[in-house]
Amino acid sequence: MKTARAIILTIALLLSSMYASAQIPAVKVENAKGETVSTGSLVDGQTPMIISFWATTCKPCIQELDAINEALPDWLEEAEFRVVAVSTDDARFTAKARSLAQGRGWGDFTLLFDKNQEFMRAMNVTLTPQVYVVDKDGKIVYSHTGYSPGSENELLKKIKELKK
Amino acid sequence: MIRKNPRLLTLALATLVAGTAAAQEPQKGYLTGSFETNTIYYRDDAKTNATAPDDHFGSNNFLKLDYYRGKLAVGVQMEAYLPVLQSFPTELAGTKLTNYYVTWQDDAFSVTAGTFYDQFGSGLLFRSWEDRMLGMNNALMGARFIYNYKNIVAFKAIWGLPRLGMEFSETQVRGADLSFSLAELLKWNNTSLSLEGSVLSRYEKIPQDLIDEGGKPNSEGYSGRIYFERSGFSLKAEYVDAGKKYAIDPEVSQDGDIYLQKTGSAQLLELGYNRNGLGISLSGRRLEWMRSEITSNGNLKSSSANLLNYIPAMCTQYTYMLTNLHPYTAQIGDAVYNNSGEIGGQADIFYNFKRGSALGGKRGLKIHANFSTYYTLHKEGTAKAGKLLYRDISIDIEKQFTRKFKAVLLYSMQEENPSYGRKSATRLQNVFVADLQYKFTPKFSTRLELQYLTTHEDEKDWMAALLEINFAPSWSIYGSDMYNNGGSKIHYFNAGVSYARSRTRIALSYGRNREGLLCSGGVCRLTRAYTGANLQITTSF
Repeated sequence: MKTARAIILTIALLLSSMYASAQIPAVKVENAKGETVSTGSLVDGQTPMIISFWATTCKPCIQELDAINEALPDWLEEAEFRVVAVSTDDARFTAKARSLAQGRGWGDFTLLFDKNQEFMRAMNVTLTPQVYVVDKDGKIVYSHTGYSPGSENELLKKIKELKK
Repeated sequence: MIRKNPRLLTLALATLVAGTAAAQEPQKGYLTGSFETNTIYYRDDAKTNATAPDDHFGSNNFLKLDYYRGKLAVGVQMEAYLPVLQSFPTELAGTKLTNYYVTWQDDAFSVTAGTFYDQFGSGLLFRSWEDRMLGMNNALMGARFIYNYKNIVAFKAIWGLPRLGMEFSETQVRGADLSFSLAELLKWNNTSLSLEGSVLSRYEKIPQDLIDEGGKPNSEGYSGRIYFERSGFSLKAEYVDAGKKYAIDPEVSQDGDIYLQKTGSAQLLELGYNRNGLGISLSGRRLEWMRSEITSNGNLKSSSANLLNYIPAMCTQYTYMLTNLHPYTAQIGDAVYNNSGEIGGQADIFYNFKRGSALGGKRGLKIHANFSTYYTLHKEGTAKAGKLLYRDISIDIEKQFTRKFKAVLLYSMQEENPSYGRKSATRLQNVFVADLQYKFTPKFSTRLELQYLTTHEDEKDWMAALLEINFAPSWSIYGSDMYNNGGSKIHYFNAGVSYARSRTRIALSYGRNREGLLCSGGVCRLTRAYTGANLQITTSF
């Protein structure tokens, strides 16, 4: 498949010279009430946000969101931002994901449910936990794959940098 | 045309991208992509009878590129199996541009040509998806049209040929899905109510002897769904008529027919209550002859990726080693085992004892319990439970004791039927897990898992331990051992290191892996024992 490689290279070369920084693609996901919403509506032009992709079967993901939730009252005193938690659980666990989020007290997060991983694919997320800091205009300014306790502090640092 | 000339389509895509990119519009497009490799160096291991392939290597690689510009999106995925990892579907071979698409996304509608993923309802009738852990990618190659009228009506029509292995099969899939929100129409503020329905038609040439017995190349399936939500209470119900299914009759019947003819059906009910730190979710499901294959002919029939719908096991999927020794897989009808399906359900309860409450203490306490149970169908066409297939009762408690110390305790009692319902005999096991985390500094922490499994059956008792050391945000190392102290006396050791920076993660590990079921998203694949080194790199940009 030399042709295939050649084509990919050509596309990559053509585009790399002229692309802008990655943004938030608009795809359809479910909100906490089970209604379909577009991810394009997340960008409000006013506040930055943390977007975290998680799953009920991903322990470090839940740890990370717990850590953010724990620190949230303090962080919000330092900067204004939103936290969007995107569950990548498929239909098997969407219901469980809603209950888990409630049972872990994530009431301050915007909860989204990406049942067939369309948002995940559009953002090119291959591993969870995957977290992003996105500025008020929808531009991705920071991203991190995986979680180890303490790495959540990077998120606040990046958000505070946006204020400058 | 599309199927026969994938290169032509790709060239067309490339030209389109180049053309759009060249046009000097004020709105700039952007490119995003990802690359992933999963490479294993295999060694022979006399202890576990693991044998390495001749060249000792296996490597699954994925490169995905997407370009967005305004309402336009184009993308490709290239896969390289050099060669495919052991225990993955063997039809995954060589290097190929496997998926490619172009989408126009407008406010009210979207059109996609090329490969796409989609699902109707919960996927019982139809789901096309990718799961790289399973070697699963049944994307449809064809076209999709989606139309939305405000938030009231959502309509979807699809046509395509499902991917199986590196090729698109000759089976044709056509379908439509309609969702109608009554609550939006009537402008209810606090209540969601929608009615949904789908139809799916599958066409595949069938052998002459099946035609002679009255079989049809076309099979139509339907599903109807209702969704309701108000004040934290939710209800979801789904009914599926999956259409005609054919299977070779394992016993020659009296009339001399070779095939069994069945009709697939499924019912799913989910109830939820999520309010004030309390999350309850109940689900019940009945399945009968629900296996939906991409192809019923040829060598690929037996592939684990030969699936056109999604029937996961509805029970807890654990993340601890010993709780996963005997995972459950949903029984979707098997003519050879004379098992037409399953019926069962599960209940989950999550509760957060808030800070300052009697049980919550200073830092709160989180509790979760699950009960799941599944039975064979006593008789076809009924909802009467037969033999026990699987039962699990589990409870886990998480408590942050001090700023530095957190503990999770888990107990699970699992009972499984090793003959998948052919016989009544079951095996019972009790699993205990302690997961202890200590944070020495804001960036340096350790985690210790101690696990024990006790049973009178099969391989007898197991014990396991894992120690993980984390240097946030980038480095993590771990070592683990799983030991069958009651039976084989084999140590299944593993050690690894990972480094993550921005959107890249590199992980290297070495160890001995047990033969068993590897499950992802409730679908499992049988894996052979292997010993070796594993390199995983994922990056996105």
